[in-house]
Amino acid sequence: MRRTVSLIVVLLALIVGVVPTRGQGSGRLIVQSQTEPPGLDMTVTPATATSGIVFYNVQEALVKVDRHGKLVPWLAERWHTADNRNYTFFLKKGVRFHNGRELKAADVKYVFDRAMNPETKHPYAKDYEAIGDIIVKDDSTITFALKSVNASFLQNIARAGSVIYPRETVETMKSTPVGTGPFRFEEWVRGDRIVLVRNADYHVKGLPKLDRVTYRFITDPNAVLAALKAGDVDVSLFGLGPEHVQDVQKDSRFAVIVGDTTNDVILAMNNSRKPYTDVRVRRAMTHGINKSDVLKGAMFGMGKILGSNVDPLNPYYVDMANAMPYDPAKAKKLLAEAGYPNGFDTVLKVSPQYYYTVRSGEVIADSLKKIGVNVKIEQIEWGQWLSRVFREADYDLTIIGHAEAWDIKNYANPKYYFRYDSAKFQDLFAKSEATVDERARRDIYAQMQKLMVDDAPVVWLFMHPRLAVTKKGVQGLWKDLPASAGDLSEVAWTPAK
Amino acid sequence: MRRYVARRVAALVATLFFVSALVFVVVRVLPGDPAALIMGTEGSPEAAARLRESMGLNRPLPVQYVEWLGGALRGDLGRSIQYDLPVGQLIVSRLPVTLPLALMAAALMVAAALPLGLYAATHHRRAGDYAAMVLSQIGISIPQFWAGLLLILVFSVTLGWVRSGGFEGWSSGPGPALRSLLLPAIALGLFQAAVLVRATRSAVLDVLREDYVRTARAKGVRERRVIGRHTLRNALIPIVTVAGVQLGQLMAGAIVLESVFALPGLGRLALGAITARDLPVVQGVALFIASSIVVINFAVDLAYGLLDPRIRYE
Repeated sequence: MRRTVSLIVVLLALIVGVVPTRGQGSGRLIVQSQTEPPGLDMTVTPATATSGIVFYNVQEALVKVDRHGKLVPWLAERWHTADNRNYTFFLKKGVRFHNGRELKAADVKYVFDRAMNPETKHPYAKDYEAIGDIIVKDDSTITFALKSVNASFLQNIARAGSVIYPRETVETMKSTPVGTGPFRFEEWVRGDRIVLVRNADYHVKGLPKLDRVTYRFITDPNAVLAALKAGDVDVSLFGLGPEHVQDVQKDSRFAVIVGDTTNDVILAMNNSRKPYTDVRVRRAMTHGINKSDVLKGAMFGMGKILGSNVDPLNPYYVDMANAMPYDPAKAKKLLAEAGYPNGFDTVLKVSPQYYYTVRSGEVIADSLKKIGVNVKIEQIEWGQWLSRVFREADYDLTIIGHAEAWDIKNYANPKYYFRYDSAKFQDLFAKSEATVDERARRDIYAQMQKLMVDDAPVVWLFMHPRLAVTKKGVQGLWKDLPASAGDLSEVAWTPAK
Repeated sequence: MRRYVARRVAALVATLFFVSALVFVVVRVLPGDPAALIMGTEGSPEAAARLRESMGLNRPLPVQYVEWLGGALRGDLGRSIQYDLPVGQLIVSRLPVTLPLALMAAALMVAAALPLGLYAATHHRRAGDYAAMVLSQIGISIPQFWAGLLLILVFSVTLGWVRSGGFEGWSSGPGPALRSLLLPAIALGLFQAAVLVRATRSAVLDVLREDYVRTARAKGVRERRVIGRHTLRNALIPIVTVAGVQLGQLMAGAIVLESVFALPGLGRLALGAITARDLPVVQGVALFIASSIVVINFAVDLAYGLLDPRIRYE
């Protein structure tokens, strides 16, 4: 017994004797990341854990979505189109990859040829379907000839899957991405951290401001909170829920960023399965759910109520939050008209992978009970959810967040797991893709949003907010997240007074 | 003794073979498609189907099993889908975290449990005994992850003595590495010790009631010697049995605690692989952990033989 006590005393003395070194100096930042990426090659994996680290930091595209959601020239210093069919890009001169080689038009051609080749299993191959031919004019000029007018073309070449990389590194991108970004990839200690270091040759003068960024993978929200409070991480980008954020908000050592995102959280209904084949039932579901209660219950009121699948960061956003308001009496009437005067029983399949799904589900079940719809909540694991719900559409109801920008296109795909099949909507969407005129396109988007509200293929619940926490003194982080990226090029510590 | 060892080795090989088949089947029967998980909600089903094909997941199960087993016997556990690295290499890279963690935890467990259990037994129905029992009851009742969080709260957040998580690696010397492992080892070992305290106490109490103990005392043998030589050695069989089971549980506990302390160990590798349906890694780690537990049990069996001659000659 005495020996045990002395052993513990010795061990404790050992700890106290050596004060642990803390990461943050003026140019170093330790960022908590919730999930470890499943590989770092954005032309293979669509995971946000990957793009959150690599996109804009290590690899970049010809066009960039800036912090306000605007498309700006990036690796291409400008572009030109006379007919909306042929786009010519003039590459920024003197841009070098991290391996020292200069970026040339031939690299751009290689990247898109490879993406369009079905052999390479590019996750967004569909985004490049409109491209007919890619012509290299000279080392810094390249023309994309489209098969037809495609209004999403620029948007698509600004996506994470459209980053430009040197062809000689294509085999190793999964573990060592090379690009033109403000940071060079340094190391990935599997299970623990990814380290990026400053690219001294970066093509934007004065950036990046940090010397070194370390991403540490901490999944458990309580562990994240502890790491923040112990000073072991400087920034938490994802992983803290609203309840933790409220706790941190009271602490003067931290700053909390609550911003907008493109993540639309929805209650999906299987439109091919009874009773959701009936539009009256779907409308009744929308009228029967008190969305502000859902927002309070699941998100502590953080986030924004949505009425359609266009998020507030989209330039064509129309506020539809109150287009089909909470009205249980009307919901009951609609159900009676559809032949369900006493309501019905239904199963809600959710995956606890995302904390808000189960919480929202509980509030919704309570809300729907009042109109006679009895919701049984069934929790399934994420892998099962992807197979059974997302791929096979074997479900009545489910809750999930769709994080991709411009994902209104999913409603034009009758095979998508909502199984929403409206010829009218599909026509409108096709028209929107072929319309380049800004005003005309905005008008079509307004029509689509109105049609979505009327058809109620799903119940749009809320926009999941960006909830980031930083130590006081960290500045330059994006407030909103219009792209699935975690741009750290302008982040810096405020100079010490 | 030789026949005894030979029998145990044969049982060990048979168990490992059975475990390998079980691990393979269970992992494959789990619902959830690795290709679908890689693609998530953003990739198209066609892309997922192509990926599935290229991963060789469409071939018949027995073919896949034989191929995997053949590889495993040659030391090749396949390639991780998520990390694109050999599974064997991944497992080896995680051992410098998990092995010392398990060893530290085991050492703490034994160092705390044996003296405390012995003390409780020799002070039967006195204040010290009750105090030891209350302590161990608390230890049993507290979930390890919560204990881990409490330790972080006290030693990292409030006192700032150690980092709240993460692993510095051994490259910067044993000091920082051991410091990163200390809190999780305490959470794992001390709280696991609670069960062993009770086992030790009751085993020792049983032996203390034996006639030969009374005889030894009557002969005037010093109490120290009575406990150390006559009692403890005879009480060791049940204690070693419980400790063996506990060691297996340490591995399971490590899976949870490595997440709480953000340690890049074997447990976290397994957890991540299960979520991502990284089948080769899940199979490899499960086989590795199962093998270690089988080997621990084998060692416990051998220890029986050493401790008790009767078992050797059976």
